[in-house]
Amino acid sequence: MAMEMRLPVARKPLSERLGRDTKKHLVVPGDTITTDTGFMRGHGTYMGEEKLIASVAGSVERVNKLICVKALKTRYIGEVGDIVVGRITEVQQKRWKVETNSRLDSVLLLSSMNLPGGELRRRSAEDELAMRGFLQEGDLISAEVQAVFSDGAVSLHTRSLKYGKLGQGVLVQVSPSLVKRQKTHFHDLPCGASVILGNNGFIWIYPTPEHKEEEAGGFAANLEPVSLADREVISRLRNCIVSLVTQRMMLYDTSILYCYEASLPHQIKDILKPEIMEEIVMETRQRLLEQEG
Amino acid sequence: MKETPLSNCERRFLLRAIEEKKRLDGRQTYDYRNIRISFGTDYGCCIVELGKTRVLGQVSCELVAPKLNRATEGILFFNLELSQMAAPAFEPGRQSDLLVKLNRLLERCLRNSKCIDTESLCVVAGEKVWQIRVDLHLLNHDGNIIDAASVAAIVALCHFRRPDVSVQGDEVTLYTPEERDPVPLSIHHMPICVSFAFFQQGTYLLVDPNEREERVMDGLLVIAMNKHREICTIQSSGGIMLLKDQVLRCSKIAGVKVAEITELIQKALENDQKVRKEGGKFGFAESIANQRITAFKMEKASIDTSDVEEKAEEIIAEAEPPSEVVSKPVLWTPGTAQIGEGVENSWGDLEDSEKEDDDEGGSDEAIILDSIKMDTGIEVSDIGSQDAPIILSDSEEEEMIILEPDKNPKKIRTQTISVKQEKAPNKKPVKRRKKKRAAN
Repeated sequence: MAMEMRLPVARKPLSERLGRDTKKHLVVPGDTITTDTGFMRGHGTYMGEEKLIASVAGSVERVNKLICVKALKTRYIGEVGDIVVGRITEVQQKRWKVETNSRLDSVLLLSSMNLPGGELRRRSAEDELAMRGFLQEGDLISAEVQAVFSDGAVSLHTRSLKYGKLGQGVLVQVSPSLVKRQKTHFHDLPCGASVILGNNGFIWIYPTPEHKEEEAGGFAANLEPVSLADREVISRLRNCIVSLVTQRMMLYDTSILYCYEASLPHQIKDILKPEIMEEIVMETRQRLLEQEG
Repeated sequence: MKETPLSNCERRFLLRAIEEKKRLDGRQTYDYRNIRISFGTDYGCCIVELGKTRVLGQVSCELVAPKLNRATEGILFFNLELSQMAAPAFEPGRQSDLLVKLNRLLERCLRNSKCIDTESLCVVAGEKVWQIRVDLHLLNHDGNIIDAASVAAIVALCHFRRPDVSVQGDEVTLYTPEERDPVPLSIHHMPICVSFAFFQQGTYLLVDPNEREERVMDGLLVIAMNKHREICTIQSSGGIMLLKDQVLRCSKIAGVKVAEITELIQKALENDQKVRKEGGKFGFAESIANQRITAFKMEKASIDTSDVEEKAEEIIAEAEPPSEVVSKPVLWTPGTAQIGEGVENSWGDLEDSEKEDDDEGGSDEAIILDSIKMDTGIEVSDIGSQDAPIILSDSEEEEMIILEPDKNPKKIRTQTISVKQEKAPNKKPVKRRKKKRAAN
């Protein structure tokens, strides 16, 4: 068994490696953004001593007269229509509490959950008692944000056959700010695995189901053994996502796919080494720029 | 902050490991983590590190009026605080249950056991007594707070010196530390808590659970004992049913552990005493080493290699001769050459052999674990004796074979290969399989 030893080395700052022309205006809490009082203050700023001061660490965004600071590392802030991947933490009387990396636990009401068989009926007392049979503590689900309460807590629903309990796969937890907002967050990658990019930063990688059978509302978790080839693809994807995150690149299906293809010449475990990570992500970035331009 | 919930697979992994008598940090079932005691410059201040759990203890004293119904006894006051830096889940106002439980346990252990002679704390009966206050702060939470806290409390109390007082008739003189040396407290015995974590409804037991193990445990048994094998406090929480002989066994283990810990405490106290007497440097600045973030240091974890030799010999005896490797380079295009054919994809063989040997299914993981241990053994023993050319290839999933002229080749890099050999020694040796190559 070969053993590798590495010594800790100072990491090069990102901006050096990128050499970008347009520098983003990055601020830390307490930094002055501007002394011009003509601007309206948005999220992440406050007015103090005639100056506009940032209250979070992030990049300054300006839309006409509105200045706000978009935080780089933040908890997930729910918006209606987002897809999230969450973990059940509690089973309460008529609802489940779901952990979604936000400030407050999200709520999944029993009435927002689709019953096995896809039937539409009023939830009875027996359904309440059988709640634990559907979802237990520790289960992972994919759901959509139905509403956001005034205190910021998020209410979820799984009223479609594509949402529901997740079976076998790998969960990667990243910062929510790195997941790009797109039209669809469920992707079947051509390399042989599928991925759900939750807006809350939870990314679920799973083997593509062979046939899109009529699922029973997404409850029966498929527990058949996953083939080795699929497992390798999933591990490689997971390592690619981790390397994209370390280099602070936005995550969406194209970037993940390009990164996967760039990583093919390397062994799966080598992808996590810093120099190979840089190389792969550099190549991905190159391809993405070419594709745009 | 909220505590991140433990995922199901992590929980299952920990429980399975415990069933196989394995702990994540390599300890045995009854092993304690390393305990380090360091003292501050003031008397009565100490930091106890139990693995990564750190507790700071500080003792202070004050002259007050005694309680009305105990006019000749001093007052003891214990306070344990869970600092917010100990764990993200600790927030002011959020930790009440755990805090109350720990404080109660500590009080019962130290106050009710009468380890400190409160009569000696009396200065003037009915008017002035010493109030001894022990403050414990949890600096880092990595499991088993109660043990670390009890050690910190008793060490701080033993280390503490109170100002000397003399009573002449009606006159009470309180001497400052400069006038007269401060006097140690009168401590009868040292009660120390030992925690036992139970898993799977009391089937498995671990001493000194760390944070992960605490999250998956079913119940906790805390026994406070001193070195004279007297039980000071015993508490069982978590609602598990314990059998009588389990509790007796735990108390025997606790006796052994407490003896070791008490010895350690005595040694630490003596060392500190010596250093102060000789005028050397003492205090936290000396005893707590500067921890640099770029300096990695892991404590040694012992691996059981007792059956390595037998396993190694078994493997060698059943090993198949490797396929011949041609060492002539073949030039495909300018820039691309190939040396050797490569060997068949043994990852694929693993799958096949799994399918064919279905009845052996249960012993898979044990074999893999054993072969990992065995592999390290082989590596260590054979690295010195290589003189044949080593052929390495860059492609994925291939074995690296180190050829030796006359002996059977020993395969390195391989838990899969060893599995194949252990489970199917009679299979045909070489299977031509097309390696699956994704688009280059």
